[in-house]
Amino acid sequence: MDYLGSAIKVAASGLDAENARLRVVSENIANAQSTSKIPGGDPYQRKMVSFSSELDRASGTTQVKIDSIVRDSSNFELQYDPSHPAADEAGFVKLPNVNLLVEMADMRDANRSYEANLQVLKQARDLISMTIDLMRAR
Amino acid sequence: MDAVNLFKLASTQAKWLSLRQTTVANNIANVNSPNYRSVDVEPFEAAVSNESVRLAATNGSHFGAKDGDVFQVVEEQASKLTTSGKPVSMEDELVKSSEIRHAFELNTAIVSAFHQMVLMTAKGS
Repeated sequence: MDYLGSAIKVAASGLDAENARLRVVSENIANAQSTSKIPGGDPYQRKMVSFSSELDRASGTTQVKIDSIVRDSSNFELQYDPSHPAADEAGFVKLPNVNLLVEMADMRDANRSYEANLQVLKQARDLISMTIDLMRAR
Repeated sequence: MDAVNLFKLASTQAKWLSLRQTTVANNIANVNSPNYRSVDVEPFEAAVSNESVRLAATNGSHFGAKDGDVFQVVEEQASKLTTSGKPVSMEDELVKSSEIRHAFELNTAIVSAFHQMVLMTAKGS
């Protein structure tokens, strides 16, 4: 059984998941001001990532994968701006339900988890090289 | 030859430590997965004491003839109040991971020292 190899695989799956999460955060931040094209239409809706753990039977490990990317259905913020192209008859514009502070916190969290997975990967590699060093004995 | 026994014990422990590192990797990768419960390997003492009780297989058709060291991976218990397992705690994983590193360093150092002693006996210098 190659336990350390599967440890590296699991850490890699964690890196992959955090990567996807960071991508979604960047999408949200980039579209924080994206209003609708048509007057009175819905603007960009915030996306959220949901993770799930999946048993890999070949190695007996529990890898993490992206379960689904769902839309946040909370209310949009209304702003009175009659000259805006996306304003409805009453002059209100719907702004995306993206809160930059929340996105920043999410980004930090993804960053920390990414670092943790990276540390695991490094340690597994160190353990392997310690074993190889045994064979290198004079 | 007792030296061989030490090497076997050391390799069993190295396997156990590798598996433990895998469980740490599992826990850390799944830290954001909902409903995931923290896992750990059974203690090394328990695994080794099982080993000594296991029946010796002198024939291929004997039961328990599986040679590989099999360790149980169990869900960690949280506290006495809950029965639903323990969510991943990053701090605990950090502690475990440094324990593993420490033990692995010790393990390889001992094996290397012992190997040197065996060589010394063989060479006679």
